[in-house]
Amino acid sequence: MRVLVTSAASDIGSLISEGLRPGHDLRLTDLPGASSGDITGCDLGHDDATDQIVAGVDAVVHIGYEGQDGGAPALIDYHTRRTYNLLLAASAAGVERCIYISTLRLLQDYEENLTVTERWRSLPPTDDPVLLACHLGEVTCKEVARDGLLKVATLRLGFPIVKGDRSDAVASGETAAVASDDVVAAIRSALTAEIEQWQDIHLQSPRPGQRFLMHAAQKLLSYPETETQGAAR
Amino acid sequence: MKVLILGGNGMLGPWVVKALDGRHYLRVTDINKPSDDRHEFVQLDASDLDGVVRAAEGMDAIINLSVLRPDRKLAFDVNTRGNYNMMTAARTHGIRRIINTGPHFQLAGPQFENWDFDLNPDMPPQPGTRLYALSKALGQEICRVFSERHDIYLQTLLYYNLKRPDTLGGPEGKPVFANDLTPYSIAWPDAGEAVRCALEVELAKLPSRCETFFVFADLPHRKFRNEKIKRILGWQPRYHLEGLWNKPPVEA
Repeated sequence: MRVLVTSAASDIGSLISEGLRPGHDLRLTDLPGASSGDITGCDLGHDDATDQIVAGVDAVVHIGYEGQDGGAPALIDYHTRRTYNLLLAASAAGVERCIYISTLRLLQDYEENLTVTERWRSLPPTDDPVLLACHLGEVTCKEVARDGLLKVATLRLGFPIVKGDRSDAVASGETAAVASDDVVAAIRSALTAEIEQWQDIHLQSPRPGQRFLMHAAQKLLSYPETETQGAAR
Repeated sequence: MKVLILGGNGMLGPWVVKALDGRHYLRVTDINKPSDDRHEFVQLDASDLDGVVRAAEGMDAIINLSVLRPDRKLAFDVNTRGNYNMMTAARTHGIRRIINTGPHFQLAGPQFENWDFDLNPDMPPQPGTRLYALSKALGQEICRVFSERHDIYLQTLLYYNLKRPDTLGGPEGKPVFANDLTPYSIAWPDAGEAVRCALEVELAKLPSRCETFFVFADLPHRKFRNEKIKRILGWQPRYHLEGLWNKPPVEA
């Protein structure tokens, strides 16, 4: 499968692209100031450069959280206008799905004792433009999916992302942590899974007392491996 | 009240200024200078964060009439980021009353309008992917988040088809019949008057800090509902558009 990964120069973009490399034909892109090596610079403008970056691609993995730096104006611009340009160009090129990499931090203001799932409304803050912009990116993706232009799975990752496997995430002591190995495994599944036109999916590494429930991940991605882990509290 | 108007010299701006004239102090901003110099004017692009924050100093309320449609960069700059700028300015200066405006389809997009009737302003937004609708809806979402997190009252007035009074027949024009009008239409003066109602309503009378209103004349189609603005803001359309949905008299 040919996969485009955006914000590829960021830490999360690098983690995902390295994890997907085996078995996938990757195309990496980032804004021109961040491009280097095999990462193609693209402004994601309404132009030929964006059309070319999506041409021939089967799926887009679009980084919605911590893929870009800058203040609120730049971040809002990236996650609304540039995301709109990217997804409309992708749809026109025949791309069928986008995996939008979001974060469970959008729900962190709910109390820990609540059984927060994908059916709970996210609570973006105004003081953190990275999170606010991430939320606006979700809205943009949802409307693209609503109009039937692309299938979109919004993968909200746990926090923090702990390098390593599930045992490392558990050892971190963080109740919403996700292991980098689990991130990669879930995205690999999401690229081929039967998904709805639009779908929020919560993803953290299972652990005793885990903060978020993961029914959607269990149903759609068979993650975690047993339903008990997905529902564990 | 001291009122900052963003985009005050566009299509709707002059009608809003006329409705508020003599009742409030107005600081009108726009990228283009108005011909009427009776009010303080600041040349300002709504996408300029620092400029919007500066312009809001000392104000009691902000009215946002700014809009740009055809170009993707300009549309998102003004319709989306402009709203972030406005809400940041409100928060910076402790301004509690915000009046935002936009097209009805930033909420009731094709997935609503093409399918259903009795559409109302309390539905969750489904703008779809038209540039104008989505860029405005994203701006609205920014406003909603700010009103949820801070002590800021947001009223959003949604319009669509606006008509000059002299095209409506009656005392200000010749009789006009059978235009099969858009079932979301209003005369420009009534559109301006709706903003005045939103500006002057007691905040305590609003059901929440984030309220949206459909603003159009009384129409027979039952495609959309306009009762909320009449019930909560006390707005009433002065111009009635019957001539546009009645067939002409049959000549004997």
